[in-house]
Amino acid sequence: MSVPAAEEERPVARDPKYDILFEPIQIGPKTLKNRFYQVPHCIGAGSERPGFQAYHRAVKVEGGWGAVCTEYCSIHPESDDTSRVSARIWDDGDVRNLGAMCDRVHHYGGLAGIELWYGGPHAPCMESRATPRGPSQIPSDFEINIHPRYADKDDILELQKMYVDAALRARDAGFDIVYVYGAHSYLPLQFLSPFYNKRTDEYGGSFENRARFWKETLEKVREAVGDDCAIASRFAVDTLLGPASIEIGEDGVRFVEYVDHLVDLWDLTVGDIAEWGQNAGPSRFFEENHEKPYTGVIKAGDHTDKPVVGVGRITNPDTMVAIIKSGQFDIIGGARPSISDPFLPKKIEEGRPEDIRECIGCNQCISRWEIGGPPMVCTQNATAGEEYRRGWHPENFSKAANADKGVLVIGAGPAGMECAMVLGKRGMSAVHLVEDASEIGGCVNWISKLGHSDGKENLARGTARGLGEWARITNYRQIQLDKLRNVEVHLNSRLSAQDVLEYGAEIVIVATGCHFATDGLNPATHAPIPGADTSLDWQLTPDQVVKGEKPIGQRVLVLENEGYHMGASVAQRLAGEGKQVHLMTQVGDIAGYMEYTLEAPMLHRDLHRLGVGIHTYTMLERIEPGACHAYNIWNEAHKEVFEVDTVVLCTQRLSNHELYHELKSDKAALEREGIEGLYLIGDAAAPRMLVDSIFDGHRLAREIDSPNPAMPLPFIRERRLWGEVANSDFDTQLFGTPDVAPV
Amino acid sequence: MRIVVPVKQVAALDDEFELLDDGAGVDPDFVERDLNEWDTFSLEAALLLSGAAGEGEVVAVSVGDDEASEALLTCLAKGADRAVRIWDDALQDADVLSVARVLAAAVERESPDLVLCGVQSSDAVNGATGVALAAHLGLPHVAVVSGLQYDAGSGTAMVERELEGGLIEVVTIRCPALLTIQTGINEPRYANLRAIKQAREKPMDELALSDLGLDDEAVTATAGARRRRLRPPESGGGAEIIEGSSAEAAARIADIVKERMSG
Repeated sequence: MSVPAAEEERPVARDPKYDILFEPIQIGPKTLKNRFYQVPHCIGAGSERPGFQAYHRAVKVEGGWGAVCTEYCSIHPESDDTSRVSARIWDDGDVRNLGAMCDRVHHYGGLAGIELWYGGPHAPCMESRATPRGPSQIPSDFEINIHPRYADKDDILELQKMYVDAALRARDAGFDIVYVYGAHSYLPLQFLSPFYNKRTDEYGGSFENRARFWKETLEKVREAVGDDCAIASRFAVDTLLGPASIEIGEDGVRFVEYVDHLVDLWDLTVGDIAEWGQNAGPSRFFEENHEKPYTGVIKAGDHTDKPVVGVGRITNPDTMVAIIKSGQFDIIGGARPSISDPFLPKKIEEGRPEDIRECIGCNQCISRWEIGGPPMVCTQNATAGEEYRRGWHPENFSKAANADKGVLVIGAGPAGMECAMVLGKRGMSAVHLVEDASEIGGCVNWISKLGHSDGKENLARGTARGLGEWARITNYRQIQLDKLRNVEVHLNSRLSAQDVLEYGAEIVIVATGCHFATDGLNPATHAPIPGADTSLDWQLTPDQVVKGEKPIGQRVLVLENEGYHMGASVAQRLAGEGKQVHLMTQVGDIAGYMEYTLEAPMLHRDLHRLGVGIHTYTMLERIEPGACHAYNIWNEAHKEVFEVDTVVLCTQRLSNHELYHELKSDKAALEREGIEGLYLIGDAAAPRMLVDSIFDGHRLAREIDSPNPAMPLPFIRERRLWGEVANSDFDTQLFGTPDVAPV
Repeated sequence: MRIVVPVKQVAALDDEFELLDDGAGVDPDFVERDLNEWDTFSLEAALLLSGAAGEGEVVAVSVGDDEASEALLTCLAKGADRAVRIWDDALQDADVLSVARVLAAAVERESPDLVLCGVQSSDAVNGATGVALAAHLGLPHVAVVSGLQYDAGSGTAMVERELEGGLIEVVTIRCPALLTIQTGINEPRYANLRAIKQAREKPMDELALSDLGLDDEAVTATAGARRRRLRPPESGGGAEIIEGSSAEAAARIADIVKERMSG
């Protein structure tokens, strides 16, 4: 490992107040080198993409995380979550593939954990076609129409043997920490919780009976591998379902005390699986360290003698110190913070906490698991999930082969900021980021003012907080751009095509964003809506709502056709200000994608609290002053008139790509002025989510020295190759310059 | 019309820095160099006047070592017509008056219609170079100018200064004259990549003291002040770092306010 040049020149010791975060701690037979612990989280790698799995987990250890875990790892084909991607340790092939992760994690000096998982009815077994077993025949409240088979006592012995066999395979693969996973309402917790367990035998009824399955399983796993591996258990100390299930003051505390002697590490959470956004809380509703009132009780109340790791989107080193000093947790757990910044611990250690790329709590990472199949993504960290298949490293940037070129990036929104920053880090001789507005950030500047934050308790837990944390997208990049001496940012400057031609840049990148349709053009009818015209003072696009350029009446209709958060965020904000709001969509649910980001349950509670009228399968036929004429999409004769003062049209967006096409149309001028490359990125190419805009900007910068930067390079596809195969058959598919080194 | 713009390559400190062992300066590893912010406004004022006149010449002048060439290149890239850099090892520890003396010799050669300085430099913060230079040159001067109109016909300038209470003082001054320009008077332009490249082809004279008819003695004779050392500020007491959640912090702040108000 070479030490970065900057560090050699200027050794800055970490602030002593953070020393406590770097103290080792014993976990059973293993020593965790510091207090940074990546709790199990999904990435879409499983056991089928061993390169993805190994490289993603290990880059965090390289960045200072003391331990990293797999995602939930199925112990048997009876626990098959297809189409969602879990890891699996069913056979020797899985041992081999997950062993690659252990090897790479050990190379960088960290511990590897594996989360042994049996889902019961929450695992639909769509690939294995097996029948899951459960304590009682209660269908899943997470899946559609999946009933478990009742597990009799022979079944229970078989299930426990599955855990033991899996634990032995896990040890053979090289794992240091072996979990018996119950949190998120999987099998051990299904036995413990009367919400799932309706048995009357010795595995149901009393606390001891309900705890018996988990306790016996821990005993057997400990007996099998406890000398070699640390035994961890992940436990939801409160499932937030009231007396029907686990409550912190009741079975939550009781269970920890009951089996404390059988675990070496407690990994604590809250909530169940059907609403696990109470655990992976989005920033729209949950602040940093939001689980403290629940998970913090276990250690603070002296209910355990074992180390405790807990989570809560903890990104601030001062919060981490306070958590450990106050006796809340011993170890700082991170899933999303570790995805957003794999080098978070190193940045604290090197005395540069300002470089931490803080998670914004948008839950895009989770959304891809929820969708089932796609690899994880991260808004803040475009390299997440790309460590192996594209050879991208979150902190290493190889010098571009064409670094002598000067680059002009037009537009400092998400794509432009990211592209300019990465080009700067790749050592381009000069990068000019030129922005029309008076500050960088583009659409993030108004989107981060969406939602609302009246601070009122929002039913279950959490409060309406708005999207303020999303401004971290800009904050991080502002700090990085300020540090890069080869990047100049120029504000209040709108460039014409002629300005661009005369700019003197060899590479021109257009990142001019997009705008909302002003005439109601939409994905439902592919046509404008008669009467829609946001140049009128009573019709607005979402950005106009935030910018406050027009008065907004008391009665508002928000038409939402995008399917993500925009219409709902506008409705939430206006209703939070006391407006009477109708939210209308052409599909069966508003803001459908927010189911995937786990924001939906809390959003629905909030919209309900605020009295927002929700109208699904409904579209506008025409808009007149004071009246919106709507129809049901399944029966156009079914009409309804909404009498409103203001209409907000969140129908679709259109790229601001005129500058690009004007430049591109005059190839002779480009050649005459020495412009060798002209590229279009982000929303200016096609409107998309922030996560994808930032990726697009990053991708172009990473590949700016490829033969044709406009076309993404092929990436490694980890699929079965027919015939005899070696790892090199995959590795050599990397066409770019990988910044991640093979070990 | 010819306008001379004296500029300085200043040192900007990192957030964290260390002093040299003798305490007389900041460790150069912790500073970055850049064109003084005030000088970007005086240069812009000169470029606007020259542009409006449709003729004339803007000359950027700096007293500084090799690194000061970067500041002058920035001026050339933004549109200055030529640059003059004066350096001599004897100027290593020169104070304000010595620098003004040297600048005076260089500016005199140019016979300018106007000399536009920044109000101050961001690193030394003396606010004196421009005024001292006017004295050496025997030119009328106005300091801390926030508005400027030049009338070529009458050879006068109408300038504005901001006084207490936001009062605007309007002053007429006969030219040639020296003005020190305040930030915010205009919006300094930036140079595009082509202009940055082309700046290297513009003339930059590099002069030694002897080229200006000066010698070491002229510098030392003018010098009156010498920096002995820099020391970090005393870390203040009376601060309390409030820990805990935002709700706990808010409660603690409320307690403090109540305590102080009742006291």
